[in-house]
Amino acid sequence: MARASLSMWASSAFLLALFVAITCPQALAGEDLMVTENPLGRSGGRIVIGLRSEPKTLNPVLAADDTSRDVIRCMTADLIHISRETLKTESALAKSWNVSRDGKQYTLHLRQGLHFSDGQPMNADDVLFTFRIYLDEKNHSPQRDLLVIGGKPVDVRKVDEYTVRFNLAQPYAAAERIFDGLAILPAHLLESTYQGGGFAHSWSLTTPASQFAGLGPFRMKEYVPGQRVILEKNPFYWKKDRAGNRLPYLDEIVFLFVPSEDAQVVRFEAGDTDVLSRFSADNFAVLEKQQTARGYHLYDLGAGLEYNFLFFNLNDLSAKGRPEIAKKQAWFQDLRFRQAVSAAVDRDSIIRLVYQGRATPLWGNVTPGNKLWIDTVIPHPAQSLDRARQLLQSAGFSFKDDGSLVDPHGMPVEFSILSSSSNAQRSKIATLIQDDLGKLGMNVHVVSLEFRAMVDRLLNTYDYEAAVMGLVSGDADPTPEMNVWLSSGETHLWHPEQAKPATAWEAEIDRLMQQQMVTLDYAKRKHLYDRVQEIIAENVPVICLASPNILVAARDRVGNFRPAILDPYALWNIEQLYLH
Amino acid sequence: MRQGHKLRAAVLLLAGIQSLILFAGFFAPYNSTAQDRQLPFAPPTRLHFFDAQGKFHAKPFIYGLKSDPVNAGAYTVDTARSYPIELFVHGAPYWIAGLFQARIHFFSVEAPGKVFLLGSDGYGRDQLSRFLYGGQISLLAGLIAAALSVCLGILLGGLAGFYGGWLDNALMRGAELFLALPWLYLLFAVRAVLPLHITQSQVFLLLVAVMGLVGWARPARLIRGVVLSAKERNFVLAARGFGASDRYLLFRHVLPQTSGVVLTQIALLIPQFVLAEVTLTFLGLGVGEPLASWGSLLSSLQQYSVLSSYWWMFLPAVLLVPLFLAYYMAADALQERFKSVSL
Amino acid sequence: MAMKYICRRLVHATLLLVAISILSFALLQLSPGDYFDAMRMNPQISAQTIDGIRSEYGLDRPFVVRYEHWLVSVLKGQFGFSIAYNSAVGPLIWIRARNTLLLTSTATLLAWFLAMPVGMWSAKKRGTWGDRACGVATSTLLTVPDLLLFLCLLLLAVRTGWFPAGGMMSEGAAPFGFWSQAKDVAFHLLLPCIGLALTIVPMLVRHIRSAMIEALESHFIRAARGHGIPETRVLYRYALPVAANPLISLLGFSVGTMLSASVLVEVILSWPGLGPLLVEGILARDVYVVIGVVMLSSVFLVAGNLLADLLLLANDPRVRVE
Repeated sequence: MARASLSMWASSAFLLALFVAITCPQALAGEDLMVTENPLGRSGGRIVIGLRSEPKTLNPVLAADDTSRDVIRCMTADLIHISRETLKTESALAKSWNVSRDGKQYTLHLRQGLHFSDGQPMNADDVLFTFRIYLDEKNHSPQRDLLVIGGKPVDVRKVDEYTVRFNLAQPYAAAERIFDGLAILPAHLLESTYQGGGFAHSWSLTTPASQFAGLGPFRMKEYVPGQRVILEKNPFYWKKDRAGNRLPYLDEIVFLFVPSEDAQVVRFEAGDTDVLSRFSADNFAVLEKQQTARGYHLYDLGAGLEYNFLFFNLNDLSAKGRPEIAKKQAWFQDLRFRQAVSAAVDRDSIIRLVYQGRATPLWGNVTPGNKLWIDTVIPHPAQSLDRARQLLQSAGFSFKDDGSLVDPHGMPVEFSILSSSSNAQRSKIATLIQDDLGKLGMNVHVVSLEFRAMVDRLLNTYDYEAAVMGLVSGDADPTPEMNVWLSSGETHLWHPEQAKPATAWEAEIDRLMQQQMVTLDYAKRKHLYDRVQEIIAENVPVICLASPNILVAARDRVGNFRPAILDPYALWNIEQLYLH
Repeated sequence: MRQGHKLRAAVLLLAGIQSLILFAGFFAPYNSTAQDRQLPFAPPTRLHFFDAQGKFHAKPFIYGLKSDPVNAGAYTVDTARSYPIELFVHGAPYWIAGLFQARIHFFSVEAPGKVFLLGSDGYGRDQLSRFLYGGQISLLAGLIAAALSVCLGILLGGLAGFYGGWLDNALMRGAELFLALPWLYLLFAVRAVLPLHITQSQVFLLLVAVMGLVGWARPARLIRGVVLSAKERNFVLAARGFGASDRYLLFRHVLPQTSGVVLTQIALLIPQFVLAEVTLTFLGLGVGEPLASWGSLLSSLQQYSVLSSYWWMFLPAVLLVPLFLAYYMAADALQERFKSVSL
Repeated sequence: MAMKYICRRLVHATLLLVAISILSFALLQLSPGDYFDAMRMNPQISAQTIDGIRSEYGLDRPFVVRYEHWLVSVLKGQFGFSIAYNSAVGPLIWIRARNTLLLTSTATLLAWFLAMPVGMWSAKKRGTWGDRACGVATSTLLTVPDLLLFLCLLLLAVRTGWFPAGGMMSEGAAPFGFWSQAKDVAFHLLLPCIGLALTIVPMLVRHIRSAMIEALESHFIRAARGHGIPETRVLYRYALPVAANPLISLLGFSVGTMLSASVLVEVILSWPGLGPLLVEGILARDVYVVIGVVMLSSVFLVAGNLLADLLLLANDPRVRVE
């Protein structure tokens, strides 16, 4: 009886295997593929995407610029991924994970039976190797600092062939999110290069395609210098759709190098490219007119995570010796002066004239696009020159007969606003603010500098008075932006790298941010971060102005196009895109 | 005789245009920085002589504009109220040549009407007024830079041609060096180095000076050529034979012979340097906001959306043509006139 | 005789190139900010990491040391190291230089083919309405800034669809065979070529016209006409060789103008030449790339001048005697 049932099991197992082998011809034995929930599409075809500059390298550890990351993202995969639609984490190469009670230990269980794009199997050894490379200080990886928590780098250990354990020095609320974007590298290809010390030159654009291997939906096919990069479908990709077809649907992706946004718009309009990601509102109006005629659609996704702001130089300049600016800092450091400036700025005009109405006015640093973290209680006062004048007068400023403003010592109020010459929108904002402040009697000039020269002044020499800048968070969670709000932070723009907090409210922000970093409960974190937003809105170290909407476009023939407000806006689901 | 006519015509035209620009405050209805945030990118205002009933008005009038509710960014004419054009109106005060202040404008309309004869830009500023005020800056830049270039050219080219030898060699190699470097992009570097506290006018003067100093090479070569042949002429040799000093020869005999080349060069260089200022401001290196210059007027055309949607932003470039034509006519006439004088 | 002249010019050219390299190095050193400053605005990267990367690339060493290293690398043929591209500058430049040369040489040929007949005709018909109309047309073209001209051409391409909107080759199915590829490239070359040629045609026409006028006024032309030699022969066989002298120097000089205008064309019409590389390098402060491109353009310029001088030597026996 037992033997008969054994043979019955064996034959049914055999039949089942045969059935599986016939119906899912592409699934290899033992592969634990992830099933995606997208509408089904057809295989085949290629799409052309414009890139604003050439990628500099295809090495995920060394890549620092956006363009390289865009291309690398199509060729690699991470352990835990942040879904661009929900802004929450979801499983990727790690099928599931457990967190220890104290929040310091994460045990990730990898999907089994997956292969790199060259057919070699992936397991925990690759994960260990990857993290060793990211954490190696000699590689100077820009992503290393993400993995240093509580002053100590993350400790990575192998538990078994498909389980990896991460030990953190302290509980970290955003721990799951640090895995997003950390590409898992093939040990079998890169180990020897790494041991030989040549890692810094590996995986550049000129590396032959056969020496790449990744877990992304596409793999390298061809690079033509100065013109394009072509990626082809990865036959070993670890996702499949509900019908069991292995993703991606597309055969090829062509990244075309088109050096400026205007040129990208032109070529999209002419039909050379299929997807246009994040362009400005002026071009939206131009493209809108020909939507139906030329067979494409525009999408206005509402506010993203970018926030533009005006801020003043609040640095301690005694060491640097800039007496001119130091005199003016007496004004900048007076809260009422900053509040007056904030009251005088015409945010409506900024939205209308700079962004053609496709932006949201801001009074705090979190945009309405970040639904999980925005504090809706912050007041949104309209522009009021009267209130601004009142504030200035209460601070001791007075108006002369011709309307110009003088400070309590009789010095006329005059300063300059820096803006980046490469960003047309921010330069326009600076000009509008100049006019607004002119109505308050302030003599403001706009100095347009090239981006790196501007950063040098802001963060190295502190040789500036005011500046218009913008920041885009790579993630909705507040922790990645800590360095902006911590007084000791290097990007605490108005007064970076303070030895100890210069003001009471900055000390309070420090305390709240440190606390939210280690609080694991979302509701408690939100409460803490709400308080941070309120302090920023009250003390206006940065006068928040507007957040541009995310605008993307795609040809009608591209199916499953579901753009999101987090980078990469149009291509986050590239494996699900198909052609009608 | 024909040359004399040509020269006279060119000079008259130049004087006319230049005085329009000198008295920009009078001819412009608004000052160059007045924003009207309700009317960004308004098309040129049409002048009407016949009203809705078909009645003829000797004084032309305009209608107001209101935003088109259907087409975002477009305007429809609001025939409810008409604004006649008034001449010699009292308006915002302005300076003439920085010395006198006046308030009378050649033409304007009653507020809240706005007359944009050349349309308005992205901030709702009148392009005609900005063109006239901008001319002050751009033409001044061209003049100063041309003067600097030519002076340096006379100095260095004259010395090189007169003394010859190693001085000539060194100066000509220097000229090659200056002609070979891609100055445009290295000017970006210079701009970034400038300290923050210089005012707009100082930035402007500095850039003009740099343009002029860099542009000495071409006039220097031409003047050197003339000096080389001029110093061999009989009367110069005779004067030398009489014991004249180098300085006397240079200033009394040789340099006056270069007057033809110098004048032609000036007439040619002014439009070139005005165009150079336009290009520099276009690329972000010239005068900053909100000062108007011809370069800043045209720089908004760098954006594809402006280039393809707002045709009136091209008009400043079109208006430059008669001005430059006048300069080239003058240069041609001068060249022909002095050609007949020298060998 | 000629050899000594050539050698002397070559020595001068080398000295010039060295001077240019030092000057550009110095100017780039002066401009504030370096490649890694862009990373400093990223709150997720610490300044320590950035400093580490910076010293890896040797950006914190003194000027003289870096210049020395660069010179050695030039002699090895690598022309320095690009921080942005993470590779030697040499391979980056060669391909793009080829594309730029293709564009500028075609444009120069086109410009001269257009300008010569117009200039000569204008000189012959001097003073008539045709000549005046020509003068007005060239002056008008001269007043249009290059940038504006290229933008208008781009607009034309997009609106009418007659020309491709950019790039050097189609991204569709890659054409097979040498001839179809050449046709494809030629089609993409059309617009940038026309734009670039139009930037110097007016100046060329004016100079050709004045050179021809001067030649036509000389005594021996009158003598030739008096001999009964037909007008076309007078024009081509007698006047043109004399007018050629200033035109040859003009040819050498126009190489320089072409090169700087080609940067603008390449950026606006997305032609993959040295232009976009240079602009990106300057904006990103990728020092060695910028210097490499500047040096290469200077080499082209000096070579153009040298060529012009040699042609002058061949054409005008008077120069040989000097």
